[in-house]
This record gives sequence, structure tokens and C-alpha cells, in this order.
Amino acid sequence: MTQMKLISALVGGLLLVAGALGILESGAADVFLEATRPDFQKIALGVVGIQNAGGPDWLGGRIEEVLKKDVKRSLVFDLIDLPGMGIKVHDLGTGLEGGAKAVFKQAAENGVSVLVWGRAGLKAADKEADVNMEGFVYDSGSDEVVGGKRYVGSPSVVRLMAHRFADELVFRYTGEPGIARTKIAYVAEHGTARELFVMDYDGYDARQLTADGFLNLMPRWSPDRRFLVFTTYRNRNTQDIDMIELATGKRWTVISLGGLNITPALSPDGNFLAFASSYEGNSDLYRLDTRTKAIQRLTTNPSGDLSPSWSPNGRELVFVSDRGGGPQLFLMGADGSNVRRLTFEGDYNAAPVWSPRGNWIAYVCRARREYKLCVISPDGQKRMQLTTGPGVDDSPSWSPDGRHLVFSSTADGKSHIYMINADGKDIERLTFEGTHNSAPSWSPAS
Amino acid sequence: MTKTLGIYGITLVASMAFIGLSGCSKKSVQSGGDSQATQGMAKGGSIGSSDSPKSGVGSFPDTSIQSGGGGLQGINKNPSEERVGGGTQLAKVDPSGSSGRQMDEIRAEQAASAAAGLRDVFYAFDSWTITEDGRQALSRDAEWMKSNSSAQVKVEGHCDERGTSAYNLVLGEKRAKAARNYLVELGVGANRLSVVSYGKERPSCNEHAESCYQQNRRGHLVLKTGK
Repeated sequence: MTQMKLISALVGGLLLVAGALGILESGAADVFLEATRPDFQKIALGVVGIQNAGGPDWLGGRIEEVLKKDVKRSLVFDLIDLPGMGIKVHDLGTGLEGGAKAVFKQAAENGVSVLVWGRAGLKAADKEADVNMEGFVYDSGSDEVVGGKRYVGSPSVVRLMAHRFADELVFRYTGEPGIARTKIAYVAEHGTARELFVMDYDGYDARQLTADGFLNLMPRWSPDRRFLVFTTYRNRNTQDIDMIELATGKRWTVISLGGLNITPALSPDGNFLAFASSYEGNSDLYRLDTRTKAIQRLTTNPSGDLSPSWSPNGRELVFVSDRGGGPQLFLMGADGSNVRRLTFEGDYNAAPVWSPRGNWIAYVCRARREYKLCVISPDGQKRMQLTTGPGVDDSPSWSPDGRHLVFSSTADGKSHIYMINADGKDIERLTFEGTHNSAPSWSPAS
Repeated sequence: MTKTLGIYGITLVASMAFIGLSGCSKKSVQSGGDSQATQGMAKGGSIGSSDSPKSGVGSFPDTSIQSGGGGLQGINKNPSEERVGGGTQLAKVDPSGSSGRQMDEIRAEQAASAAAGLRDVFYAFDSWTITEDGRQALSRDAEWMKSNSSAQVKVEGHCDERGTSAYNLVLGEKRAKAARNYLVELGVGANRLSVVSYGKERPSCNEHAESCYQQNRRGHLVLKTGK
């Protein structure tokens, strides 16, 4: 709270100074100074087990495996190895039976804050019957079973049950919605075509969205997760920006000005679409007011301007421009005012994305002739390279909690999609099929 | 605190210097097809009325977040049963569609271009400058176009796999336009030439090697067969 006040006072003071100097047009210099909290203490959580209660052999184990991975990826919890601690039971019933008490005591004495367990089975003997899952949560702080969840659904959604349970745990202990039910949109090669796909955040359940037989590139989500905007070559001679509704597959063109229209990005409130277009000559940035349909040109530079990404409060844009020779990152107000260069290190910096927490901008930097992921603070003071080694890394996109990035890389030969923590740790490969997967875009949280 | 203010001070001074150098920084344009007309506008102004749909801009739904909370109901002592559906509902795609047509058109264009003997132009890494070899190839192409005066040619700009997808699209467009401009310099009518950038999305060669990269950094001349 105190920190927030300090920031407001600081920004307010700066605006006064800037206003007096007559150089800022509207709330520019709006950069969050929020710390990343490297000292964040993870909550020790143990998954006792998800017991099979009359379903197929794989049922409990599958849910348990997905739940454990979600808990680990949340970066909110430290997943405790319970058997290593001597806790070898897999089921604690409703938590009220005598045996459970001893386990709670043992866990609490070993510093475990939360214990989670449950069971899953079929509602009827029939193989097509619904799956029932029950989950329980013990909290050592209050020394009680604080509650649980009951889910029902078809056997095809058991991964989703685990994801929901994981998100409930994150929500209970952080107030954030969690990322286990988020999706990743991406481009996959089919023959010579590149089509849009959507998969779960952990790489499962990939679904094809377009079947043009030609190029569809760089999808981005709408704030409400219902739509994607992307560049399409469906008309071959111009590259338009299309929108597709995920639930219906309904698709239409939103920008067809002529020329190359690429890198669309919706503002966090959905009121503006920023994009790059070459319809007036070279590639410049524009923004469409999605309500009035008015288009405002944001840059007029004779060089190439592209890849706008919105600050979380919608007041600023980071983008790429090669006005200095090679591509570099620049910042400006969302109305095109107050342009200033952000990156000075290296001769190739591109594909910026502003983190949902505001404190970092991830991008592709060229280091020793390789294209790697970097992050830089919006004030340019802190910079860090996240990936190393051979291969072209491209198209970083933040998780809605700001703790992870997804990106494409040719590190293993063909282009595939990977997840990495925002501090550069724990790279996880998400796609294994196909000849080319690229341009991942992480959905907002629901 | 003092340090942070200092940093801001530097940023502000840098911004002032930049604005001073770049002069006027923006203008607004009315959306719409071919018009090059631009209008000087006061800041933040949007122009055009909201009721008439403009050419080049399609309909736009409200995409703002309608509800928060993520559909989570919390962990309760007496949880009610929650039905878990398919999450984000996704429509099934029909892969039959138009997929064949695009490839048929491309094959027809490639065959016609090969028959005409049109030559490609190649570029250096990160560059869109036409080299001496490139000028020779384009001179031959210009001669061919002059003696085939009804032919329409599309210049495709391509890049190698290095660098980002997005920036390569812009680089590919610069390459295609550099080749087109040189053809125009040689006397080919600009109305007979069009450009398209494929960035690094349609490489002609797929190895991770310089010999392959060189083949992919190209302006590919295609004889238009359709409209």
C-alpha cells in the first residue's frame, strides 16, 4: 500500500514537472515500478494422492499427475515430496477420520502448509458414464480441513478437473485466478500451409481453427478470450487482419486497407486495435477505435515500424522500429506521443511484449549471432538475457500471471513451442508433433 | 527515491531531445481504401462518424472482459457439485474448404514464371540493397517485361530463417519493393508490378545452413496468371 502511494506520488510529481515543461500530452511516463519480489516465499503444499474409486485404472493417477504439474507450474506453491518425508498414505478420506489427524500433525511439524487429496470414480458402471471427482484441502495454519471441491463431467475432461482444482488452490492462497485453465494459440504447418491452432497451456488438447490451405500468422487474443485477431494471406495479394470467434468458428476481416497488415494487438480494455500497415507506403503503426471505426496513424517515420504491444494500463505501447538501422524497441504514448528509444544494447531487438504486471518487457535479442529471449524494464535500467545456446527464439508471450513466457524456438531443430519461467529457469517443451509450430500467444486468464 | 527520479530525469531529457529532433510526431487519417489523403489533427482526435461502415474496416464486437473471477467458486466446507465442460468451447474446423484453390493458383503461377524464364534477385544478410548480380538479373527481367507488354508480375520478398517472423515480413517487403523500384527505374510500368512479402514463412530451402539461407533471401518474380 505504502509502495503504491509512493509510486502515485512519484508519477504525479513527474507529470507536474513534465506538464510544466510542456512535453507530455497525456499520462505518459506511466511505468510501473512494481518489484518482482525475488524473496517471494512459496507455500509448501503436498499432494497426498487422488485415489481411484471405481473408475478405469488410469483415472486417479491421471488427475493426480496433472494436478501436481499444475501446482508446480503455478510457482505459488512448493510441491513437497510427501513420501520422502515419511508420509506414505494416499488417501485421507474426508479428513475427519482418526488416521488423518496423525498425518496432519506430521505434515505440520515438517513445515507443510497445505495438504491436498481426493478421489475419482465413475458415476455408473457404464464406460461412458460421468466421472466424479472430490478434492479436499487441509490447512496447517488453521489446523483444519478448510473445504473441498466436487466435480462431475465426461471422462474426456478429467485434465480440466485437475486444472480447475489447481486454479482454486492458487485463488485461495493468492486471490489470483491461476493459469491452469489458460490456452495457447499458435501457428502450425500443414504441408505448405500455416494454420491457427489452440491448445491447453500445458500443450495438451490441440485443436485446429483455420483450414485455408495458405498462411495465417501471429494470432493474438481478445481480452475476453472469445476471439483471436491475426494476419491472413487468404486474399494472397494483400495481407489482411481477420478475427475469428473460437466458439463458433465464425471469421471475418477487420482490416483490409491494402498492403501488409501485421502484428495486431488489442488494448487491454478491448477499445483499440493497434497494428502495423504498409498501405500508405512503408510499415507504420496505426490504431483502430473498435467502437467508432476511426483509424489513427501513430507513426510517420519512413522506416519500418511494427509489433506494438500495450502496457497493462493501456496508456503506452512498446514497438519495433528500424529507424536507427537495425530493429530496436521504442516506447510511445498510446496516441503516438512521446516516442523514445528503449533498447541500446545489440543491433537487433524485436518482438516485444509487455508483461501483464507491467514491470518487464520481453523481446528477442540477438546475441552472438543467435536470436534469444531477453527482458528489459520499461525504464531501460534492468536487462536480462533469459535463454542461451543455438537456435532462433521468437514470439515471446506472457502468461496472464506474469510468471512465465511461452515462445517458439528452433533449439531442437524444427520450430517448436516452449514455456519458461520469467527468470529464465525451467524450460519446458510443449509441442512435439508436426514440422513447424510457431507464434504462440497466451490467453488471458478466465 | 532520488535515484529513481534521476532515471526519470534522464528519460525525460532524452524524450525531449527526441521530440525536438523528430518534429511533428503524428497525424490522423481517415480509414479507407486507397485514399492517401491525410489530415492534420489535433491530438487524440478521431475522425469520421461511428455509424457508417468504412471501406477497409470490418465489424468489431465488444471484447472487453465481461466478468472477473474466472468462474471459480472457492473451496468450501460443503461444496456443491460443479459440472466441468470443455473449457473454452472451440468450433470444429472443416478442413475441406478453400485449401486446394490457393495451391492450384500458386502452381500455375510458378509454372508460368519458369516458362517465361524470370530471374530471382538475391540479397545479403539483413539487407534489402540490390547487388550487382541482382541488377543484372532484374535487367533481364525488365527486357522480358518490355517485350511481353501485357504481363503482370508480382515480386515476392523472402527472408532466411534467422530473425523474428514479424520483422522478416517488413524486411521481405523492403526487398520486394527495392526490386520493384529498380524495375521501374529500368522503364517497366509501375502498374504492371505488385509486391508481396512472405517474410520467412515460405522458404524455398529448409536446411540450417548459409547456402540455404542465401537461397531464401530472395526477391522471387512471379508471373500473375489470374486477376
